[in-house]
Amino acid sequence: MTPVMRVATRLAAFDLRRYLVGALLWLPVHVLPLAGGLVLQRVFDQISGHEPAALRATLWWCAAFVGVELVRGVVIVVAWTYGVYWWCAAATLLRSNVLRSVLTARGPAAARLPHSPGEAVARLRDDVADTVDFTDESVSLMGTTLFALVALPIMASVDPVITLVLVLPMIAVGVLSRSLRRVIARLHGRARRLGAAVTAYVGEVFGGVLAIKTAGAEAAALERLRAHNRRRRAAAVRDRMATDLLDATTTTTVELSIGLVLLLAAPAMRGGDFTVGDLALFTSYIGWLTALPRSIGTILYRLPQAAVATERLSALMAPHEDAATLARGDGVWLHRDPPPAPPPPRHSGPLRVLEARGLTVHGLLHDVDVRLERGSFTVVTGAVGAGKTTLVRALLGLLPLDAGTIVWNGTPVADPGTFLVPGRAAYAGQVPRLFSATLRENLLLGRPESDDDVRRALELAAFERDLAELPDGLGTVVGPRGVRLSGGQAQRVTAARALVRDPDLLLVDDLSSALDVETERLLWERIAGDGPPTVLVVSHRQAALERADQVIVLDGGRVAGRGRLPDLLAHCPEMRRLWHAELVTEATEDRAGAE
Amino acid sequence: MTRQFVDDAGGGAGLRHLTLIALGYLALAVAGQAARTVTAWLASRLAWDGTDRLRERLTEHALGLDLAFHGRHTPGELIERVDGDVVAVADFVVAFVLDVVAGVLLLAGVLVVVCTVDWRIGCALLAYCVVVGYGMARAQRLAVPSAARSRAASATLVGMLEERLAGVEDIRANGAGEHTVRRFHQVSAALFRAENRDARIGTMLLAGTSVAFAAGTAVMLGLAAWAVEAGTLTVGTAVLLFQYTLMVRAPFERLIDQIRRYQSALAGLARIAALLAEKPALTPGTSPLPAAGPLGLRVEGVGFSYPDDGEQVLSGIDVTLAPGETLGLVGRTGSGKTTLARLVLRLHDPVEGRVRVGGVDLREADPRSLRGRIGMVTQDVQLFAASVRDNLTLFRPSPGDERLWQALEHAGLGEWAAGLPDGLDTELRGLSAGQAQLLAFARAFLSDPGLVVLDEASSRLDPATERRIEDGMSRLLRDRTGVIIAHRLSSLSRVDKIAVLDHGKIVEYGRRADLAADPDSRFGRLLDLAGVRR
Repeated sequence: MTPVMRVATRLAAFDLRRYLVGALLWLPVHVLPLAGGLVLQRVFDQISGHEPAALRATLWWCAAFVGVELVRGVVIVVAWTYGVYWWCAAATLLRSNVLRSVLTARGPAAARLPHSPGEAVARLRDDVADTVDFTDESVSLMGTTLFALVALPIMASVDPVITLVLVLPMIAVGVLSRSLRRVIARLHGRARRLGAAVTAYVGEVFGGVLAIKTAGAEAAALERLRAHNRRRRAAAVRDRMATDLLDATTTTTVELSIGLVLLLAAPAMRGGDFTVGDLALFTSYIGWLTALPRSIGTILYRLPQAAVATERLSALMAPHEDAATLARGDGVWLHRDPPPAPPPPRHSGPLRVLEARGLTVHGLLHDVDVRLERGSFTVVTGAVGAGKTTLVRALLGLLPLDAGTIVWNGTPVADPGTFLVPGRAAYAGQVPRLFSATLRENLLLGRPESDDDVRRALELAAFERDLAELPDGLGTVVGPRGVRLSGGQAQRVTAARALVRDPDLLLVDDLSSALDVETERLLWERIAGDGPPTVLVVSHRQAALERADQVIVLDGGRVAGRGRLPDLLAHCPEMRRLWHAELVTEATEDRAGAE
Repeated sequence: MTRQFVDDAGGGAGLRHLTLIALGYLALAVAGQAARTVTAWLASRLAWDGTDRLRERLTEHALGLDLAFHGRHTPGELIERVDGDVVAVADFVVAFVLDVVAGVLLLAGVLVVVCTVDWRIGCALLAYCVVVGYGMARAQRLAVPSAARSRAASATLVGMLEERLAGVEDIRANGAGEHTVRRFHQVSAALFRAENRDARIGTMLLAGTSVAFAAGTAVMLGLAAWAVEAGTLTVGTAVLLFQYTLMVRAPFERLIDQIRRYQSALAGLARIAALLAEKPALTPGTSPLPAAGPLGLRVEGVGFSYPDDGEQVLSGIDVTLAPGETLGLVGRTGSGKTTLARLVLRLHDPVEGRVRVGGVDLREADPRSLRGRIGMVTQDVQLFAASVRDNLTLFRPSPGDERLWQALEHAGLGEWAAGLPDGLDTELRGLSAGQAQLLAFARAFLSDPGLVVLDEASSRLDPATERRIEDGMSRLLRDRTGVIIAHRLSSLSRVDKIAVLDHGKIVEYGRRADLAADPDSRFGRLLDLAGVRR
C-alpha cells in the first residue's frame, strides 16, 4: 500500500465508530434523492395524463416530494455537525503526531525541520488539510456509489439501453482522471511549495520586524513579497486549472449524458414506452448520478495531492518513523482536557561522569573529547564561530553527529537527544525562547513543581528582584504576546526553566551575555553554590572563566586547550590570544585613567 | 428546447427533427462548459491578483504598525492574518464569480422565460426567490460572527505552532515535548469548539435552503398540474418549468456547498478590515533630518510607560550629546536602557518630554530620513531565511557586491564568507549568535547614519573578536554620534559620557573621565567590581 493510502485508512480507522456512523449518516443524503426521483416520476405521469389521477392526488405527491427533501435537510444538519468532529479530530491527530515526532522522537530534530518555522507551519496547516480532505472524500464516494447501485437497476428496468449509454461516459471520466494523475501531483506539489514559501517569508518578515523597521527596509521587504506572490500565483492558477479542467470534463460528460438520453428517448417516447414521468425520473437521477464520476474524479485528483502532502509531512518526522506513525491514533482530546503528560521516568543512577569521545559534526566540530565529572564546573570558550554552541548541541543530541559517542557513567548512550533530558540534564539555549504564556507555565512546561520550587529556581537564576517588579508575579504573561522582558531577564528565565528541573547536569549557552557585572557575579555564585552538581557553561566572560575547574578552549571546531584558567593562560596560545584583548583593553583603561 | 422536445415527441414529430434538437442540446452543453472553464481561469487569475494585492497591502500596513502591535501578535498569528484570511477570501472569490454571478444570471433568465410562459407562475417564482434570497442573506449575517471566531481560533493555533516550532531545541532538551503536545491538544479543542458552532449554523442554512427549494419545486409542480388540468399549459411546459426550478437550484446548491468557504471568507474579510483599521500609534512627520554629518542628540525630560500596563519605565531622562560625541549607557538588566534606545530610534514616542536628533523633534521627523540617518545594532540579531546578500541589504537593492564583501571583511566575517559555497547567494544557515552579531555590524557598515545606537551589540563576541572588529567599530563611530549600551565595561572605554540608569532614572551622568576618577561614583565602583582598572 502506498504511504498516502496507509495514512488514509488509518485516519478512517483511528475512530472507526465515528467514521462509520458519520458515513452512515451521510448515506441517506445521497440515497434519499432516489425517493425524490420516484415521486417526480409519479407526478409527471399524472400531469401528462399517462396515469389517471385527481388533481388532489397530484398535490399530495408534491407534498411528499417536499417531505423527502425535508428529511434530507435534517439528515444533512446532523451528519455535517457530526462530521466536523471527525474532520477536526483527524487533522489534530496528524498535527499532533508530527509535533510529537519533532519534539520527542529519537534522533536530532534539526536535520528534518525546514529552515524557517513558517514553512513547517504551512505544512501543518495546508498539507494536513489536503490529507484529511482526501480521506473525507471516501464518504461521498461511498454514498454516491450506493446511489448509483440502486439508481442504475431502477433506470435499467425502465430502459436498459439508455442506462448503458449513460454509464459509458462516466467510465471515460474515471480513466481520464487517472491518466492525469501525475500531472496533477506535479502541479499541486509546486503550488504547495511556492505557497509555503510565501507563508514562510511572511513569518520571516514579521519575525524580523524590528530589523526591517529600524533599517527602514519596509518597501524592499514588500517588493520581495510581491516577487514571491507572483511565483505562487502562476503555480496556483495552473494547479487550479488542472482540477477545474477535470471537473469541467466531468460536468460536460454529464451534460452529454442528458443529451444522449434525449436522443435515445425520442423514438421510445414516440412509441409511448418511455413516459414523460420516466423522462423526469431520468433527468432527476442523472443529476445525482453525476455525483459518482464527480466523486471519483475528486478522489482521483485528491489522491496525488494527498500523496504530495503525506510526503511533505513525513519529511518532518524522524527517519525511523513512517506513514503509520504519521496517522497513529493514540488519542484526540477535543471534548475533554487531555490527561496530564506522564511524569518523566525516574532516572536511575546519578551522574558520576559524562564523556564524549571524538564528537564530529560536518565542517563545524572535529574530533572533540569532553569529560564532565560530577561536581565540576566546566567552561567552553573560544572565538566567534569556534564551535562552542555546536559542541553543546552535539552533546545534547540536537545535531546529527558524523562521528563520536557519548558515554554516561561508562555506558554508551544510543540516542543522546532522548537520554540527556531532565532528570539527567537540562539546557538553556543561547537565544532565549519564551512562549506567550505565564511566567509559571514558561518555567514548568508541564512539570508538577510547586510555586515555591519555581521561586527557588528563579532565585538561583538571580531573578527575584525582577520577579518582585512583575505586575502579576508568576502569573504574568511573558513572551512575544506578553510583558516585554529585557534580553538579560529572558536569559535568566530560560536558565530558571532548566534549574527548576533539578538536573544532575546543567548546560547553559552564553547565559550571561546580557547581564551586568553585578548580576552575573551573583548568578554564578548561586548556581555554583546551590545549583546542579555538574555544570557546563559556554562563556567568554571573566566571572565564569575564573570559577571553572576546567576550561575547554575551542578553535575552528578543534580543542585548542584544556585545563584551569591560569595554566591555559600560561600554555595555550589561543587562550592567550582571547585573553590578550582584555589585557589590552585594560591598558587602554590605564591611559584613560591617567589623562 | 426541452419543452419543444417533449411536446414534439408527444405530437409525433419526425425523428430527424428530434435528433437535431438533441444535438443542439449537446453543443450548448459543451459550449457552456468551455465558457465556464475560461471563466474559472479568468476568475482565479483575478482572484489571485486581487488577493495578492490585498496580502501586500496588509503586510505593508502591519509593517507600518508600531512595536506595541507586534508585541501583541506573534509572527505565526500574522501569517494567518495576512495569508490565511486572504486565502479564504481568494477561494471564495473564484467560487463567487462562477456560482453566484452565473447563478444570478441564470435565475434572471429563468424568471424571464417563465414569465413569458405564464406570468402568474413567473410572479410566484419571483416572489419565492426574493423570499429565499432575503432569508439566506439574513441567515448569513448570523453566521459571520461565529465564522470569525473560528478564524480567530485558527490564528491562535497557528501562532502557537509557530512559537513552539521556533523553540524546538529548548523544548526537547528540557523534556517538555509531551507537555507541548498536550497544550496543542487544548488549543485544537478550542478550535474544534469554534468550528463546531460555526458548522452548526452553516449547515442549518444549507438544509434550510435545500428544503426551501424543494418546497418551491413542489409549489411550481402543483401550479403546473392545476394549469395543465385547466388546459392553459402543455405537459412540455410543465417539464420545462420543473427543469428550470432544478436549474435555479443547482447554483444555489453549489453556493451552499461552498458555505464553509463562504463564511470563512466573510469572516476573513471582517478580520482583514479589522487589521487595516489598526492605526499606528506613531504619526509620521515631514521634517527631514540633516542629510549628512553627525547628528546631535537631545533627550529632554523624557518619561515613558507602555500604554497597556501604565508602569513607568523611564522618567525624567535628560541627556545631551553634541554631534560626534558618544554616550555609554550603564545599568542593571531591566533598568530601561533598551527602552531609551528605542525612543532614540522612534520605535516608541515618549509619554513626556521630547527626543531631538539633529535639532528635529522625532515626532516631526520624516520617517524615511529618520531610518536612513539613525542606525542600530542589537544583541539579538534578526536573521532571515534568505541569501547572505538579502540578509545584508534587508532585501533592498544591493550597493554592489564589492561593498558587501568589504562590509563583511570589516565586520570580521571575511574568512567565513570566503568559505561560502555560492558566495553571497548562499542561503544563510547555522550562523552562531556571535557571527550573527558580526553580520549586524556588517549591515550597519553598509549604511551611513549620523547617529548610531549599539544595544549590547558586541555582548556575544569574545574579546579577541571584538578587538578584531575594533577598526570597523571605530570607523562606524568616527564622525558619528553614538549611544552605546554595554554590560562589559571594557567596551565603553572610548565613550565621552556615561549615564547610569537605575529603575528608569538617570542616577549618575557625566564625562567618563570624571566619573572614573571620582572614587565615590557608581561608575567607578562598577569598574572596580568588573576588575577593569579605572
